Amino acid sequence: MIRDEDILNVDEPELTASERLYFPILVGMRTTFRHIFKKKITVQYPEVQRTLRVENYRGVHRLNRDADGRVACVACFMCETACPAHCIHIVAGESPWEDREKYPAQFDIDELRCIYCGMCEEACPVDAIELTPEYDLVGRTREEMIFDKEKLLEVFDRTNGVKPRKNPKITGYVATGRRNGSEPPRPGAATS
Amino acid sequence: MPRESRGGSPCHGAGTDRSADMPKINIDNEAIECRPGVPVLQAALEAGRDVPHYCYHPGLSIVASCRLCLMEMQLPHPKTGEMDWAPKLFPSCQTPVKDGMVVRFDSEKVRENQRECMEYFLLNHPLDCPVCDQAGECHLQDYSFKFGHSESRMVDQKLKNPKKDIGPRTLLYQDRCVMCSRCVRFADEVSGTHELCIVNRGSRAEIDVFPGLPLDNALQGNVVDICPVGSLLDKDFLFKQRVWFLKATESICPGCSTGCAIRVDHHREVVQRLKPRYNPGVNDWWMCDEGRFGFKYVHDPRRIGRPILRRGGEVERPNWDDIPEIVTYRFEQAVERHGVDKVAAVLSPMMACEEAWLLAKFIRSVAAEATLVNGFVPVDGDDQLFPAGCATDEAKFTIRREKCPNRRGVEMIVSALGGNACAFDEFVERAGKGDFAAVWIVGGYPKPWVPKAMEKAVGEFRFSVVQDMFPNALTEVASLVLPTCAWVEREGCFVNHAGRIQPFERAIEPREGAKRDGQYLFDIAGHSGLYTGERVREMMAAEIPAFAEIAEAPAVPVHQH
Repeated sequence: MIRDEDILNVDEPELTASERLYFPILVGMRTTFRHIFKKKITVQYPEVQRTLRVENYRGVHRLNRDADGRVACVACFMCETACPAHCIHIVAGESPWEDREKYPAQFDIDELRCIYCGMCEEACPVDAIELTPEYDLVGRTREEMIFDKEKLLEVFDRTNGVKPRKNPKITGYVATGRRNGSEPPRPGAATS
Repeated sequence: MPRESRGGSPCHGAGTDRSADMPKINIDNEAIECRPGVPVLQAALEAGRDVPHYCYHPGLSIVASCRLCLMEMQLPHPKTGEMDWAPKLFPSCQTPVKDGMVVRFDSEKVRENQRECMEYFLLNHPLDCPVCDQAGECHLQDYSFKFGHSESRMVDQKLKNPKKDIGPRTLLYQDRCVMCSRCVRFADEVSGTHELCIVNRGSRAEIDVFPGLPLDNALQGNVVDICPVGSLLDKDFLFKQRVWFLKATESICPGCSTGCAIRVDHHREVVQRLKPRYNPGVNDWWMCDEGRFGFKYVHDPRRIGRPILRRGGEVERPNWDDIPEIVTYRFEQAVERHGVDKVAAVLSPMMACEEAWLLAKFIRSVAAEATLVNGFVPVDGDDQLFPAGCATDEAKFTIRREKCPNRRGVEMIVSALGGNACAFDEFVERAGKGDFAAVWIVGGYPKPWVPKAMEKAVGEFRFSVVQDMFPNALTEVASLVLPTCAWVEREGCFVNHAGRIQPFERAIEPREGAKRDGQYLFDIAGHSGLYTGERVREMMAAEIPAFAEIAEAPAVPVHQH
């Protein structure tokens, strides 16, 4: 029940003379016209593709291979533990190789559920899972978008040349102003 | 290695008589009252202190070999006779409490010892936590974090020791071992089978089995539980799941009439493993392998999942909502046609007391002279006592021949309700003669159970409700088949061989299509709302006072392991 005293009636303010003559529209149009003559930042995707900062773009995942071409993952479940979206599902098994204890018998990432935060990449103790600059991720069904181990290894084979930079420094931002009387952080330092 | 017995009761909470002779000791300037005869370590743990320890286990003898629990103690000065801190440290696990004792753990000397011990334990320990199953419940991780260094000063190559297959169910990762010898003492003192031993000395010392004699006794799974690190691992649970994903539910093992307190560890509605809980006088700290690995039938795809109704030659799949009406109507019809004494209910010892009571009450409400039958009791061999070959009164653990959890509970209910009752064999005999027209038979056994004579007698029933887990001769012909849930999907209480009424909680949801036994019996008995063990227990206790008090396992000190 809404009580009468909770209802607040708000009247529209009276229009001024300039507003009645649509002058504020001109103010908006000025911004529009200014942008017509600027350099365009949109591209004709998919014919034209943007150049990305590949080293820290967070696109589709890949599972890396080790020097022998085997999956590098040791099935420690750290990514599954760190994942805030619960999109990683691992089934561990005893590895078929002498020098390794454990390996992922099954490794599924639900790419639709993933929020591309990169926590899995940070949690991985063997740098086996990485996010690639691939962003044009399409599929016809939901099942197709659950990437299994083979599919993730394929992504690695495709994007082998790109090495994501670990802990990239955040640049280009200069903190201004003081907070709580403290010194402003140095430009280039990691922002908190 | 000299082994001392601990003296006094090892069980926490066992000496409940708070008499005047409770020794008071002073730990870190705090007066603590403790049970007489326990080691200082146990008293400190019970007072809530986290004293690191590996080799001490309240259920085993004391060797004081890990040196991690050392403490400072005040002793009279040899010259002046004044009480002063002794220059050397004392193992708190091996020092029994004495009234007026003054000790401390909160000193630089003690902490320095802990740091050095931890460094020593980690000398050869591989950094393989990501692939180690113990990670997350590992006391090497915990103590290293709390009491150790953050880095290793080891410059030499670590000793590598390949994993050893020491038994059909257990793996030994020797390089993770801290040589606490708990497993060796367990095999010597509790299982009494002496399979394990320590070979070699110093940094080359390792746990091993004798050639041709694998670790293969009925209690061997406990060595995995008591191993404080990831050295002994269970092949059954190996690599299955990381322990921090598991949800724990307190339960009671249904494997035999001992009624061990257990913990069901499950993840996403799948039971991953069972672990024992401390329950003094029943199972203490242990459980048997039969119970530990006996839960596999829970996820058997052959289990009956939905009710089946047979009308003439037709087979229907009734809705759960219609079941109470169908059952009540058909039983009333049977009473009308064949007489009140032609009705019987077989109460299975696999049922919880609450479920048995609800069913018994329902049957008596439709037919006041109905016969209540104490169900089939599966028996296998003889009681197995441990340590192997000991006398009954010296047994530390017993696996009982009666392979059902609740025979006594069902008997208590049947005798408390009075009226017509009979044993299972008598029931089968009378059923064969056509003494019963309408019956409700409860099974729920993990193994095939229907006796031959019973298979012959099924044709004599006009109307039968069979509540069972797996298809068998009874469910093939029953008028109504109701699925029984496994104990992890139900809740209630079991009465063990000694008459202890022990509650268990439900861990996982019943499989799709099934309904919890308690819930549908609750509905059929005419109650409305949600079935909970506690609710029915209250109703039951009003009629059977014995059920007013239940026995729950005591809490264990947080830092004890």
